[in-house]
Amino acid sequence: MNRVLDGFSGKLRTGIHVCRGNWSKREDVLITGDYQPLVDCFREMNVDQLVLEYATPRAGELEIIGRALSDREIGLGCVNPRTDVAEPVESIVDRAHEALQYWSPEKIFLNPDCGFGCFANRCVNQEDIAAAKLKSMVDAAKILRSDVL
Amino acid sequence: MFSVTQVGSWPRSPELLAGLREKRMGRMTDQQFNELADGEIRRCIQLQLDAGVDIVVDGELRRDNFYSFISEKVDGTRLMSLAEMLETVEDKAAFEEMLQTLDAPAFSIRNPTCVGKLRRREPLAANDLRFLRTLTDKPVKTTLPGPYLLTRAMWVTSYSGSAYGDKPVMADDVVSILREELEELVDEGAEFVQFDEPVLTEVVHSGDDKRRTFM
Repeated sequence: MNRVLDGFSGKLRTGIHVCRGNWSKREDVLITGDYQPLVDCFREMNVDQLVLEYATPRAGELEIIGRALSDREIGLGCVNPRTDVAEPVESIVDRAHEALQYWSPEKIFLNPDCGFGCFANRCVNQEDIAAAKLKSMVDAAKILRSDVL
Repeated sequence: MFSVTQVGSWPRSPELLAGLREKRMGRMTDQQFNELADGEIRRCIQLQLDAGVDIVVDGELRRDNFYSFISEKVDGTRLMSLAEMLETVEDKAAFEEMLQTLDAPAFSIRNPTCVGKLRRREPLAANDLRFLRTLTDKPVKTTLPGPYLLTRAMWVTSYSGSAYGDKPVMADDVVSILREELEELVDEGAEFVQFDEPVLTEVVHSGDDKRRTFM
């Protein structure tokens, strides 16, 4: 990864997205485990932002990356792209407040855990639900911005 | 602060899925497909703007999947369904069982297998970024498959071995291709590029005694 990024620092924002699979809506067949074993790898990697899953309990605690890598931006996965109901705004706000224990507001980005359709023939969601999930994140961001001012 | 964005991909409509299939079968020209995809991307952008996101994505709507799409842009690759790959793996029973266990559809998930010397024939994402610029002034996130994912997925010894001999040699060309793309994206004024490395978690969470995924 660093060989790809060498020399590009400061020219654009770079990120790495690491998840646990997004090919099935069945949680039991996707990978489980926290980010602890990847902390050193992330630290070595010259990326600005870590785009990670935090809407599924399979991803473990936010604290692990929060304590070790608060110098990076966090793309906080806060909605599950594989479920059929948009997350309540409050749950996203709560998760972001947890992130605020480790990161400054400028470093926190809100995004789903993964794409809504990584594999064209195996999209894990449909458009209206995906749009509703985006709206939940936008509403949460408004509340969060007023909370920290 | 608290910028709202996405990881990259958006659900495909039935019309777009039909278009992807027709193009793959050679029954639709690139131009016809791009006209269809342009319209779908316009709708995807409008939905994001209506929702009020801060950084938009194009939904990866031109892509078959988030890494297989490079087979259309890079010489020396061949798009293969997992079902086709089943023919080449040594332990067929184990591979088939893995696909079943993982609930992965063998015929509709495709892999960009390396079958010769790799060369970037056209931009992977820079053209998509240029199109997006015509639709919105908002910042854009561009997504690319990461070097580890690509190297691991593209290497199938029986196909890739004759061109490269060994996987790390092919990896050097994967790195070069991604650097060329990054260069072009910077020239296009890209503000945010995200590399997807979904299988890094598998490396640390699935030991040899456990399963590996199809990627």
